[in-house]
Amino acid sequence: MVNGLVARLSSLVQGLVARLSSLVQGLVASLSSLAQGLVARARSLLRGIGSRSTVEAEMREEFRHHIESRADDLVHQGMPRRAAARQAHREFGHTETHREHARAARGLRLLDQMRFSWIDVRLGVRMLTKHPMLTLVSVFALAIGIPVGLAPMHLANAVEAPLPEDPDDRIRGIRLWDPVTASPVTPNARDFDLWSRELTGFSSLAAFRAATVQVESDDGRAAAVEGAHVTASIFEILGRAPQLGRALAVGDQASGAPDVVVIGHDLWASRFATDPDMVGRTLRLGGVPHTVVGVMPAGFLFPARQQLWIPLRDEVLTGAGTPEHLRVLGRLSSGTTAEEAQAELGSVRRAEAADSRTADERVVPEVVPFGMLYIGLPRGGLVSEPGFLFFQLLALALLLVACGNVSMLIFARTATRFRELAVRTALGASRMRIVCQIFAETLVLAVLSAGIGVIAIDWILGRIDFAMLTGEAALPYWLSLGITGEAMVRALALAVLSATVAGVVPAIRITGKDVQQSIRRVDAPASGIRFGGVTSTLVVADVAVSVAVIALALGLADRMMSVQASDHLVGVSADEYLAVEFRLADDGIRGGGGAAAERMFTERLASTQQRLVERLLAEPGVRSVTVAEALPRMDHPSRRVEVDGTEVSDRERGRYVRTARVDVGFFDALDQPVLSGRAFDFADLEGDAPVAIVNTVFVERLLGGRDALGQRVRFVVAGAEDGPWHEIVGVVGHLGTNIVNPEGGPALYVPAAPGTIHPARLAIHVGNAPESLAPRVREVLADVDPTVALEPPVVLSRVRQGDWYLMVAVAGGLALLAGVLVALVASGVYAMMSYSISERTREIGIRSALGAPRQRVVLTILRRSLTQLGIGALLGIALAAFIFTDPDGGARQTTLIEALGASVGLAVGIVGIIGVLSCLVPARRILAVESSAALRAEG
Amino acid sequence: MTDKADILPGTLDLLILKAVSLGEVHGYGVLLRIERVSGGALAIQQGALYPALYRLEHQGLIRSEWGRSENNRRAKFYRLTPEGRRRFGEEKASWKRLSDAMALTLTATPQEV
Repeated sequence: MVNGLVARLSSLVQGLVARLSSLVQGLVASLSSLAQGLVARARSLLRGIGSRSTVEAEMREEFRHHIESRADDLVHQGMPRRAAARQAHREFGHTETHREHARAARGLRLLDQMRFSWIDVRLGVRMLTKHPMLTLVSVFALAIGIPVGLAPMHLANAVEAPLPEDPDDRIRGIRLWDPVTASPVTPNARDFDLWSRELTGFSSLAAFRAATVQVESDDGRAAAVEGAHVTASIFEILGRAPQLGRALAVGDQASGAPDVVVIGHDLWASRFATDPDMVGRTLRLGGVPHTVVGVMPAGFLFPARQQLWIPLRDEVLTGAGTPEHLRVLGRLSSGTTAEEAQAELGSVRRAEAADSRTADERVVPEVVPFGMLYIGLPRGGLVSEPGFLFFQLLALALLLVACGNVSMLIFARTATRFRELAVRTALGASRMRIVCQIFAETLVLAVLSAGIGVIAIDWILGRIDFAMLTGEAALPYWLSLGITGEAMVRALALAVLSATVAGVVPAIRITGKDVQQSIRRVDAPASGIRFGGVTSTLVVADVAVSVAVIALALGLADRMMSVQASDHLVGVSADEYLAVEFRLADDGIRGGGGAAAERMFTERLASTQQRLVERLLAEPGVRSVTVAEALPRMDHPSRRVEVDGTEVSDRERGRYVRTARVDVGFFDALDQPVLSGRAFDFADLEGDAPVAIVNTVFVERLLGGRDALGQRVRFVVAGAEDGPWHEIVGVVGHLGTNIVNPEGGPALYVPAAPGTIHPARLAIHVGNAPESLAPRVREVLADVDPTVALEPPVVLSRVRQGDWYLMVAVAGGLALLAGVLVALVASGVYAMMSYSISERTREIGIRSALGAPRQRVVLTILRRSLTQLGIGALLGIALAAFIFTDPDGGARQTTLIEALGASVGLAVGIVGIIGVLSCLVPARRILAVESSAALRAEG
Repeated sequence: MTDKADILPGTLDLLILKAVSLGEVHGYGVLLRIERVSGGALAIQQGALYPALYRLEHQGLIRSEWGRSENNRRAKFYRLTPEGRRRFGEEKASWKRLSDAMALTLTATPQEV
């Protein structure tokens, strides 16, 4: 029985396989025939386009051959030559008609209809001036939409562009990449040595690391200057010669060589008044005298915005330790491509790379453009980042929304030209021809908008002070966001895309079947074109999004204003504290010295810090002083923290938590009660049992509200060994771990010994008018250590950091978006109203003649627009409520909605007023309609 | 001309493919060949011939080349491509099935119903 079953099964399977294989064969055959057919059609069409005149000439010759051959045959049959020729022509028929059919058979006729003429373009330009309001709004929408759509790809390309010093694109970074953590691994001295010896694809290699260096001026004050430790080869690779003196030389790198420095033009000009005798002067860098050997010309800012170049010592390059953030770059040998260099780098024998990071099987050596080396992007560039696609799609979606709205305006504009289109159709213009004409007109608009948008963005980018906007150092000198030729081409492509969406869709609707029929009716009183459901949906969506966006922007603005006075949210009386940040002079120099130098640095920092705190506490009015990595309201660093006992997979371990290393008296100095457990004490710094204090939000979110005391937490760093467990010894309230959302977010504090926090931030509790202490703080600090660099002291309640600037940028972006949307709503409603009224002039006239009150007539016409406004506003309120609801924090929700309720109301008001105004302006025309005139007009 | 049959719609392509399959031929030759092999029964509208030829060429079923005709005039000669040959086979089989079915239907007697 089993045998029988097996046999049946096997025959079944065989049958199935046979049928399947025949099916696949059939499919393959038809697919290949389809492909062949498509290729043949494309080839024939291309020939038709490319050598149109040849094709036409051949067609004429072939017809002539036919007619002559037929005439010959007729002559053979005994007909006289002339009669035969006439007969042959008659039989063949009208050659032009045949040629027309032949063109259609070749697919060329469609092409002919699509052909644009200058008339279309001229019409497009005339349309711009004929409807100026509509042009203004459409250009506004597209001039913002197109650059927005362009931006993500533009940034991705800018990052990969070659250095300005490298027009031939021959400079490449060499780095090690850890694919698991998706981050670069700093190469060590052995790697640099190995690459220098083995790589023939590079004519020379250089190493560098950026550092902030304290430069003392003549009056003994120090200021931080961005500089870099570089190998002498960097000047040769970049091909720039100094303006004064010499560049760094290989000899300067030697152990024991005199300390020298090359300075930048800006530093030379700003600090040394372009002293012509600069070369040979001595500068104290971090307290160590360095001789200036050269001044670089203006514009030399390698690697980002640096102004000082100190030799990278051989002992750093040959030492056992790994200098932090060492980066390597090189110039490709002539004739070597980047791909070849990459292949060679990959094949460098790992066996010979003992002690080097290259020996680590996990890391991948890569040859990458300089920008990717500097920023630490994966090899694929920004495009390969998972978020990139999202942003690109979002940007294109915004453009699509703008196009949708412009399409509505084009629809209205085109509908008013109904008679012109009817005449053109009557004169033989095909539907395709009219669609093409409307497309060409829209294209004029889109190209104009793209040009204005791109030029405006270029102009704005050239004037934005990025340092002011972001609070960070300015953009690297090589990152040029200016508009390139390539970006222009892409902008044009987007303009064509926009014109297709905004022009072709309404054109197809207007030339649709119903309209075609209506065109044929000579006595049609009006076009019969109606705004459809799509238009209504668009207006409703515009109104909804405008309300939400305006509410969000207003809410953010409201919040930004209240941040200043939000001490109760921060949990600390921020206006009573003066915040001071200082850096010790040796920072930047210590990288060269290894562990001993590091220890010395710590000791000096500890001593400076302790002396400074003591001196400040002795000042009258100062109640307390504390030191921390980040003070309340400042952006606390986010670190991944794992709670003991939460078992998750390796990759998902830990949650990002705002953290700060603080000195032992931190909470006391800030008048913060410890809600449970205890504060830090000095024993915590010495013992082997690390401790931590968490805030109440941490207890709620990471510990699920259970008793925090005695729980253990540790820091998780991807790709590194886990840190030790810290025992939670206390719980505090929220102290504001950032400026935007000070009362939210879990936070964790760990104690730090003096000398381990750098740059050190001091919170000085002064009470009233803390800013008055600022000059005294400067004096005290200069007295303690004149080489210390001090950031301008600022009252803690006025500190603004990264998140603040992000918020400003977001609010600005939202305001712009809101502006675009409101303009679109207004123009959309206006266009619809104007159009409806011109379409219904006769109806209005009749109604008025029959005695209907004008108000009622107005209301009838307005009803549709008002309904759309109402529905849109309701949806907008719902959308705003949805956005403002924080799914994470239940308690915050009500306060936020309360705070933002007014914003939503105001937003509805703004959009409503503009919407109603857009209705009323055309509605006034209804009242002006004279019955008799209206009836006569269309009669 | 009256005894000539009209060509059924959709059969012109098949006739041209057949004419071209018999050997390289120019446009006027296609016309003559169809008339000749059908014994003069099938006549093609001269105007319809060229659009059909261009359509078949556009689809990659026939290919053309310039050469010299029998009366020493420059003429464009058409020949079947492999794809055209395959399509011709298919169309022929399909036509055969249709005409057999038509013949069977039209010759049916009351007894067969």
